[in-house]
Amino acid sequence: MAGEDLIAQFQTLGMSEQKAKETLKNANVTKNLQLALAQAAGASLADGTGMLIYHMASKLKPQQAEQLPLLVRYIVERKLDNTQRVDAALEYVLKCGQKLKANIDVKELEQECGVGVVVTPEEIERIVQAKIKSSYKEALLEQRYHFNSFKILQDVRSELKWADAKSVKAAIDVEIFDLLGPKTEADLKPPVKQNEKPKAAKAKPEPNQTAQAVEAASDGANTIAELMKTKVHFHAPGENFKTDGYVVTEHTERLLKEHLQKTGGRVHTRFPPEPNGILHIGHAKAININFGYAAAQDGLCYLRYDDTNPEKEEEKFFVGIRDMVEWLGYKPVKITYSSDNFQQLYEWAVVLIRKGLAYVCHQKAEELKGFTPKPSPWRERPIEESLQLFEDMKRGKIDEGLATLRLKVTLEEGKVDPVAYRIKFIAHHRTGGKWCIYPTYDYTHCLCDSIEQITHSLCTKEFQSRRSSYYWLCNALEIYCPVQWEYGRLNMNYALVSKRKIGKLIAEKIVHDWDDPRLFTLTALRRRGFPAEAINNFCAQMGVTGAQIAVDPAMLEASVRDVLNVTAPRRLVVLEPLKVTIKNFPHAAPVQLEVPDFPQNPEKGSHKIILDRVIYIERGDFKEEPEKGYRRLSPQQSVGLRHAGLVISVEEVVKHPATGDVVELICSSQSAEQAEKPKAFVQWVSQPIPLEVRLYEQLFKHKNPEDTNEVPGGFLTDVCEHTISVVQAFADQALAQVKVYDKFQFERIGFFSVDPDTSNNRIVFNRTVGLKEDSGKK
Amino acid sequence: MSELALELKTLSDLERKTEELSSQINSVTRGDRYVETDDDLIKLKVTNNKLKHRLSLIRESIAQELKSSVMEVTESFSITEHLENVFAQAFAIAFPEYGNIPVIIAPVNSASAKYGDYQCNNAMGLAKKMKEMGVNRTPREIANELLKACPASPIINKMEVGGAGFVNVFLSKDYAAKALQNILRSGIKPPRVPKQRVLVDFSSPNIAKQMHVGHLRSTIIGESISRLLEFLQHDVIRINHIGDWGTQFGMLIAHLEDRFPDFLNVSPPIGDLQSFYKESKKRFDTDEEFKKRAYNRVVSLQTGEENSRKAWTLICDVSRKEFQTIYDRLDITVKERGESFYQSHMLSVVDFLRKKNMLEEDEGRQIMWSDEGKSGVPLTIVKSDGGFTYDTSDMAAIRHRIDEEQCTWIIYVVDSGQSTHFNTIFKAAERCGILNPTIHRANHVQFGVVLGEDGKKFKTRSGDTVKLSDLLNEGMKRSLEQLCSRGRDKILTPDELSEAQEAVAYGCIKYSDLCHNRISDYVFSFDKMLDDRGNTAVYLLYTYTRICSISRKLSEDVSNLETILDTVEIVLDHEKEWKLAKTLLKIHDILLKCSKDLFLHFLCEFCFEVCAVFTEFYDSCYCIKKNKDGEIVEVNHSRILMCEATAAVLRQCFYILGLKPVSRL
Repeated sequence: MAGEDLIAQFQTLGMSEQKAKETLKNANVTKNLQLALAQAAGASLADGTGMLIYHMASKLKPQQAEQLPLLVRYIVERKLDNTQRVDAALEYVLKCGQKLKANIDVKELEQECGVGVVVTPEEIERIVQAKIKSSYKEALLEQRYHFNSFKILQDVRSELKWADAKSVKAAIDVEIFDLLGPKTEADLKPPVKQNEKPKAAKAKPEPNQTAQAVEAASDGANTIAELMKTKVHFHAPGENFKTDGYVVTEHTERLLKEHLQKTGGRVHTRFPPEPNGILHIGHAKAININFGYAAAQDGLCYLRYDDTNPEKEEEKFFVGIRDMVEWLGYKPVKITYSSDNFQQLYEWAVVLIRKGLAYVCHQKAEELKGFTPKPSPWRERPIEESLQLFEDMKRGKIDEGLATLRLKVTLEEGKVDPVAYRIKFIAHHRTGGKWCIYPTYDYTHCLCDSIEQITHSLCTKEFQSRRSSYYWLCNALEIYCPVQWEYGRLNMNYALVSKRKIGKLIAEKIVHDWDDPRLFTLTALRRRGFPAEAINNFCAQMGVTGAQIAVDPAMLEASVRDVLNVTAPRRLVVLEPLKVTIKNFPHAAPVQLEVPDFPQNPEKGSHKIILDRVIYIERGDFKEEPEKGYRRLSPQQSVGLRHAGLVISVEEVVKHPATGDVVELICSSQSAEQAEKPKAFVQWVSQPIPLEVRLYEQLFKHKNPEDTNEVPGGFLTDVCEHTISVVQAFADQALAQVKVYDKFQFERIGFFSVDPDTSNNRIVFNRTVGLKEDSGKK
Repeated sequence: MSELALELKTLSDLERKTEELSSQINSVTRGDRYVETDDDLIKLKVTNNKLKHRLSLIRESIAQELKSSVMEVTESFSITEHLENVFAQAFAIAFPEYGNIPVIIAPVNSASAKYGDYQCNNAMGLAKKMKEMGVNRTPREIANELLKACPASPIINKMEVGGAGFVNVFLSKDYAAKALQNILRSGIKPPRVPKQRVLVDFSSPNIAKQMHVGHLRSTIIGESISRLLEFLQHDVIRINHIGDWGTQFGMLIAHLEDRFPDFLNVSPPIGDLQSFYKESKKRFDTDEEFKKRAYNRVVSLQTGEENSRKAWTLICDVSRKEFQTIYDRLDITVKERGESFYQSHMLSVVDFLRKKNMLEEDEGRQIMWSDEGKSGVPLTIVKSDGGFTYDTSDMAAIRHRIDEEQCTWIIYVVDSGQSTHFNTIFKAAERCGILNPTIHRANHVQFGVVLGEDGKKFKTRSGDTVKLSDLLNEGMKRSLEQLCSRGRDKILTPDELSEAQEAVAYGCIKYSDLCHNRISDYVFSFDKMLDDRGNTAVYLLYTYTRICSISRKLSEDVSNLETILDTVEIVLDHEKEWKLAKTLLKIHDILLKCSKDLFLHFLCEFCFEVCAVFTEFYDSCYCIKKNKDGEIVEVNHSRILMCEATAAVLRQCFYILGLKPVSRL
């Protein structure tokens, strides 16, 4: 009933019935509209006034709600007569919004909104003509109607702020027509895209439709710096109150002022991992966003170990996390620990109890699980009692699991009274035996953010439902409240990142350790040879949207290739050597050849290789019985040797007397200038050194090995066989002096990186990626 | 590189693989067993670590609580109780198998202060007990072990084993100074006791009857008990269980109808309810017709008939006014809830008892035995005529007080003559499940009769019972005489004089009642109670005003103690200073002692002791030094603070005893 009434009322604003119905579904807008309607009672809503009211109501944030009557009045009085003015008014009101009961300076408001400013058609025409003449004429003549006239529109409006958009557009169209005359046939064809990217990005990111993009959402960029400077639109420090959902209290203005004094207006971010595991590719995104944003804004970023859970925290994790942050090229301004704040957090908990906002509860953990857990019978117990019990908890008088401290707040998802403290009789690696009550994530996180004066608390979308409790808690304690911004998680297909599950893979001896190159932990990626820069660029390409992204490893590999292409020097290596003796070796003795590190870019350096009578080529580059279209060496077909200036032809195939395997080829050679141009050049080595080369394959068969629909038997059953193979390769002596993590392109094979297992008498390489995306796989 | 090298390389690889496999096989075959035991072991280790962690925290908490309970001088506590805790812990450590023995702590007579201030006397008893168990230890050995096991306490300066096996405790002066400072800063805070909801039933006179000295005792004792328990932070309900119900009201109403036929419209001018009562009683005894009508009125009153009800109210109001005058004079607060209140509750308690099969038919009466063995006198719950008795109303009252008022402690301040009756009521209430002795406590606070100076029951010369208002008037007269004989009428302003007169008059009546063990009878003598020597209200009030006058002599303002406290340390070097400090700090012990068995004479004795010790102190320790011209040359601020602390302690005690301190007397 009420619904139909409302629909009718909404229609008086000029909405279609359909639109009115849809609007009704949005409780917030409906509420605003009802208030506005009450306010505008009796006034004429004709001529678009109604729709302006709707426009305002749909954009009104809670912080601005107080000024709704004023806005309605201005719209009804036609002082705000277009969306542009309404938007300006909203913006102005928001700016005043850090104080409760803010006084709006009407004069300033009117000026901000250009109330009463009239732009004549003549003025518009004059400016349009001037702009086209000075900036766009040539482009217009060249691109004709394919030129995007929106640019002109923007330009004109920057000068004539209050000009009506439609009139400006009309004026521009007239001018363009004057200039170009009627549209030709060519003008009607769709424009030819000039630089269509033949990118390897075949595996496109698949945005998960569940998450709605945050305001800051936009596409990715090539580098993090570019992304953070151009695509991310977070609030400016101190303007917390302008963000969606921010709760303004009577203290906000003072707290923000103090906050700005403490930070000097600089951006503060933090990367807050729990030190109970190894970082993975998902963390790389968090690291890049937090450190990257701070860097781009000339701010600072903390590395904060969120070490509130004393279980399973080991020294190696702390070191590992810092290592990885530094490897990605970031330096925290300071390393902090949540546990540093235990005393403060405890004192705040006492404050909350005293305020009646927290209580000691004895419900068991199992009782709190499920969809509709029973409400706590201890919720309304006397404050004194909770204080005493909390003290008792702290003093070890109550056993584990028999008491928790809970906050009197309901989360968006409906979870009632989240736990703030629980008892654990476990010593903490930093505070030792001092505590047996430990704060939860929900309780600790926002308070540590506040302590560190974080301006942008950046986190993944899952935490959106904690935002209101985050704000509630800071406000309850009357402390500075940072702004939480959420971005979508980055998930890697064909991979696992769960600590427990990787642990299982290790225990089952499917992989060797946390840094096994088949995994997607950051240490694994480093060991596999991925350059940090490539990982960072990859994150930049993913952008900072709110959408959860799942990508195939190929996408990341493409980034890796992009970087290695220009950074990894080339070397000649054969993975499966086949001995070749050159009968008519043209030199008296072995010769040294100078080979460029980057053939396309010879000035970037070179190295020397040896050419001798006996060389080794890739066994796969010779076929005794070639199929059609075969381009390399066969008894009937010669092949060129890279960088050697020789073309060899098979004279004799030597076979193992017992097995019949080819063990050597006797070849003759011709200089490349004289010989007929061979169909292919292959890599070779002479007087080689042995290399152990580890070739890794994708570990899982399915995209989501953890998904029980996809993989009913569990992720352990989804493991591919033979995902590692070790070959003894031959390499040129130029590779004798490599250091761990040196990266090379083995010509015609792929990119390889020196494994940490390398020692004085053993050189081990990992295959990082092939030269091209392995098409043979699927 | 030769082929040989290649082959060798392959071989070494194979060897490495074999090695790896064999070690894997080994670990699997061996590991299966080990892993399992390992799991258990790991679990146990985790549990062990947790327990250790908890233990260390609890130990720390105990240490902290011990320390903070004393160091935080903001907290008030009884020294005896604290020492009991200290020794209880010592027992638990040194003699865990005898851990349940109650600790005996006794204050040491101040004359023997060199042996200690308090002592623990358990060693002798324990030696005896151990001997019974076949363990031979001398009390001194035991005392020494106890001493060693005592946890540190900031209130203890040192401990010694003395005599046959006493552990003597010497208090710390630092602690005492802090505790006194604390008293000065925030007043006397009650020692912590578990909070209870207490109902004190006192005064309880009868409508239309004389309020006599027996009621006076109940009123004075009940008021002080209420004040004491309120100070200890109990939730106290003061109830005046007046006799406003029963057959006598029938004849009163009937008589009223005859004497003042217009009583419904014109308020009857009953000046003297007592003679009115006597008149009606006479008629009741002689006039059969009147008697019959009187019985009818009882029924109509109980059924709530409007006119009877009105008459009843009018009669009660006359008495009520008289009572209130006395309560106002004596500063008594009590809520009236007479027998009439329990009319409906009596019906339901009879029902309740019947359902519980507690009632027994006895010659037409319904009686209830207070125990299964049917010993003593049974309660008459329903009379043969169907009426109720005091037994019924007291059963209804105790049930209401426990079930509805939710009291856990009920105190009846009634003369000793009723002790059998109340013991029967308590036992009966327990038997029928109203009173649960593990939760509820019921006390009959009994007191003896008031005697005249001749040692016989207190009467007027003509042999009548003494009217209370007359007694109070007499007190006022005697008090004024006493003041005038000391020339106070010339020093004090008229207002001060009348204030002093009241303070002395009512104070001495109350105090002489309270300062004796209440159980014994006491002789009422204005001469004795107005004596300014000995344990009397007059002596206490004089001493108090003397203390107050000390700071008045100063030219500086000492009303703001906070600022003095910030700059002046309390010094307890002089023997008398130290003695006074220790005496003052006993207040918490004394308050707890008083509340334990509800005897207020301990508090009176304490006041007397404080005054005596103060006098000693003041005689030997100057507070203000003057030269021959009477000019102040030196002020000992620490001692001024001692004076103030003494005044504060006395003030608090006075309040509980109902004495009004006056700063000039």
